[in-house]
Amino acid sequence: MASIIVDYDFPHAPAKVWKALTEPLLVSKWLMPTDLKAEVGHRFTFTTQPRGDFDGTVRCEVLEVRPLERLVYSWKGGSLDTTVTWTLTPSGTGTVLRLEHAGFKSEEDFAFRGMGDGWRTNVAQRLGGVLAE
Amino acid sequence: MALEDDLFRALADPTRRGLFEALVEGEATVKTLTERFHVSQPAVSQHLATLTKAGLTQARPQGRQTFYRARPEGLAPLEGWLSHYQRFWRERLDKLNAVLTEEET
Repeated sequence: MASIIVDYDFPHAPAKVWKALTEPLLVSKWLMPTDLKAEVGHRFTFTTQPRGDFDGTVRCEVLEVRPLERLVYSWKGGSLDTTVTWTLTPSGTGTVLRLEHAGFKSEEDFAFRGMGDGWRTNVAQRLGGVLAE
Repeated sequence: MALEDDLFRALADPTRRGLFEALVEGEATVKTLTERFHVSQPAVSQHLATLTKAGLTQARPQGRQTFYRARPEGLAPLEGWLSHYQRFWRERLDKLNAVLTEEET
């Protein structure tokens, strides 16, 4: 299993970033239309355009809520059965927001690992390690 | 997705990955690959057929021999696929930043 990690610096305080992660109207503005609520066990969806074997609905369940610090939900859509974790860390007057999208299966896994620079070199070697996990 | 399925299937096997890697280094015949990998000649041919179907190798007949070479560009369909989510989240976070900045003004 592997994950995508993206760290993003916001000049905004954690409270503001938290709001943008948890208020459905705000989340809909930057991510996708949703009925998210930051309550453990709440089931919700994100909706977007259908594409290929993906019907355009991402099915989610809130798994963990630590206000202003951490929000975790499952993310299932198409062939994906993954988890999205948001972690907020205060940084000066701003916030470092870390997104971790985890739980990609081996073949997807390999695909994500391959993303680094020069990924075409030693590809087979890298694949070997990933697929063996 | 059909081509990507072929790609994943082709690369899921360690012997095929080894063959592909060997061919990235240079052309080879079934015979030399057979000697190098200690796998039977029909097995090597079968693996090469799978790799070729996935677009990862290419045959080049020369006289009575057939040389195989790797097509690293055959991995390109994955590049688009795999960069999809990374790009998706980057774009969304840029948008989130814009939404927050807008809120402040």
